Amino acid sequence: MMTQQSAPTSSGLGPIGKFGQLFQPLENAANMIAGIAIFVLMVLGIVQIGLRTIFNSPVTGYIDLVELSMATMAFLGAAYCQRLGAHIRMELFIGGLRGRFLWMAEILSTLVGLGIVGVLIWYGWDHFMRAYQLGDTTIDAEFPVWPSKLLVPVAFSLWFIRLFIQLAGSIRLFISPGLSPEGVAIHKDVAEQAQEEIEVALGDGASLPDDKSGQVQP
Amino acid sequence: MILGIGFQDPLLVGFIGLGLLLVLVFLGVRVVFAAAVTGLFGLVELLGWGPAAGIVGTIPHSKSSTYALSVLPMFIFIGFLAFHAGMTRQLFEAARKWVGWVPGGLAVATVFATAGFAAVSGASTATSAVFARVAIPEMLKYGYDKKLAAGVVAAGGTLATLIPPSAILVIYAIIVEESVGRLLLAGFLPGLVSALIYAAIIVAWSLRKPEAAPSVSGFSWGERFATLPGLFPIMLVVLIIISAIYNGWATPTEAGALGAGVVFVMALFRGTGAKTIRSALMESAKLTAMIFSLIWGVLIFVRFLGFSGLPEAFTLWITGLDAHPMVIMICILIAYAVLGMFMDAIGMLLLTLPVVYPAVMALGFDSIWFGIIVVKMAEVCLITPPIGLNCFVVNGVRPDIPLGQIFRGVMLFFIADVITIAVLLAFPEIVTWLPDAMRN
Repeated sequence: MMTQQSAPTSSGLGPIGKFGQLFQPLENAANMIAGIAIFVLMVLGIVQIGLRTIFNSPVTGYIDLVELSMATMAFLGAAYCQRLGAHIRMELFIGGLRGRFLWMAEILSTLVGLGIVGVLIWYGWDHFMRAYQLGDTTIDAEFPVWPSKLLVPVAFSLWFIRLFIQLAGSIRLFISPGLSPEGVAIHKDVAEQAQEEIEVALGDGASLPDDKSGQVQP
Repeated sequence: MILGIGFQDPLLVGFIGLGLLLVLVFLGVRVVFAAAVTGLFGLVELLGWGPAAGIVGTIPHSKSSTYALSVLPMFIFIGFLAFHAGMTRQLFEAARKWVGWVPGGLAVATVFATAGFAAVSGASTATSAVFARVAIPEMLKYGYDKKLAAGVVAAGGTLATLIPPSAILVIYAIIVEESVGRLLLAGFLPGLVSALIYAAIIVAWSLRKPEAAPSVSGFSWGERFATLPGLFPIMLVVLIIISAIYNGWATPTEAGALGAGVVFVMALFRGTGAKTIRSALMESAKLTAMIFSLIWGVLIFVRFLGFSGLPEAFTLWITGLDAHPMVIMICILIAYAVLGMFMDAIGMLLLTLPVVYPAVMALGFDSIWFGIIVVKMAEVCLITPPIGLNCFVVNGVRPDIPLGQIFRGVMLFFIADVITIAVLLAFPEIVTWLPDAMRN
């Protein structure tokens, strides 16, 4: 659990940890935009029901608007999610590893991620450029599609940078496993995951898990 | 071919892809990466780099930007807000006063209270955490058996997934291209049946050991009815979603938005501050990103599977087996039970359905019915060792109750779940009745 450890003073951090911390506000902001989009989607849905039921005049292009805004919610939180180690994986094997073996597995996992996210940035950009150059619009309300498509390369670039920080952190620990972890998400066993769930459910919810430091301590 | 291997047989490429996926997932590669990378490699091998990368590059955006999926963030947001709307204690109070008089009354009350709360929150583990704090002290005060008290709280959380709003049913619907609305409706009765069977098994157990699970009685009807207003928000959310879909006055997304609005107002009413709302939004956005990543990642893999012809081959093999479809179904369910002991429910469903689902359909089973069964199976896994997360959660809140005792306590509910699944196998109408009634 991230909040259980005291945050290291940033002067005690190496270059990887420092860069990771500098990068955090950007990830938080992107995730917050996704959160705000969720809130707006809620308000929009209520307004839509209200206008349709009471005035019999639904919001123009509601479905197009929702579909275009989905990219905000789907992608902007991806890097934040990565930092907190929330993208799911099977823990059976990696959970039993220690020291160099663990960091080797982390390096492999992160490299796979960098590869696919890199490809998706490149071809997601192509996808956006096509929509931009052709002036694609939604069928119904004719909203331009490109801003929504642009979110893929943008959000995935943040994700790529976070993966890169984690790769650097894992390589550093692979070389010298005795150092204190920086820039990596530490594996959590079931009991620790359970503790996290409890915090979400029972905690006052007033503190974000990353308010103090995104760098998990061992 | 690009990879320089040059396999001519798409089916062989399909098998190698599936194998690679399993190896990567086993090694601990995040499921989204494992699925997307395998899908990309497979497509490259079958189509060449240009077309393959072109297809893969469009999938995240095109698959995520669909109206049907927009219900997910709404349900997720409802879930994170539900904890701040202060409904847990009222629910338990109400259930205690209404059903406390039956044998094992407090445990039965816990079942209904968790079912009600879990339905709205949609979060199994978190529900167990909350009720470990609300219900266990009460049960222990009345001299309840520790194993039973902890077991019912851990198992009660699993009732989250079937009663609408349920995110996991939406995910199933998207992956198999079924109607989201029909699946949500279909979950309601089986969820109720699940809760009733839990209650029945507690009563049966308590009749044998009345001293370990005493009933609590002596409440007047006035006291009972006085608890009902506290249940209003929960009933309202469930009712909004069911009636909107059943009567068609709103889409699932709109109904989800209205439900979220209700819980949001409740939370504000109870003095929830801006910081808490912000944290609920951050958590919702995180979970949304996680689920959407999984969905498009797996859909990249699914696109490759489609080109390989592997699902068809698997279907051909399954339908060619000289066994009764029900026997095959039971084997599939056992396989899920084993897999679920080691994997997260959503990941397990997303990874297996693309291959298993077409075969199950070819055997002549109903797609809505299979969705409910398989989601129920996935939930059972939250209470089975070695990684039954709900049990760990209860242990985390109540460290005085050893994990071993909790796992022994949930055995009773594991039996109940097996009975529930048997009932749903024997009477598929329980699942299909409501969605069919809507259609007609």
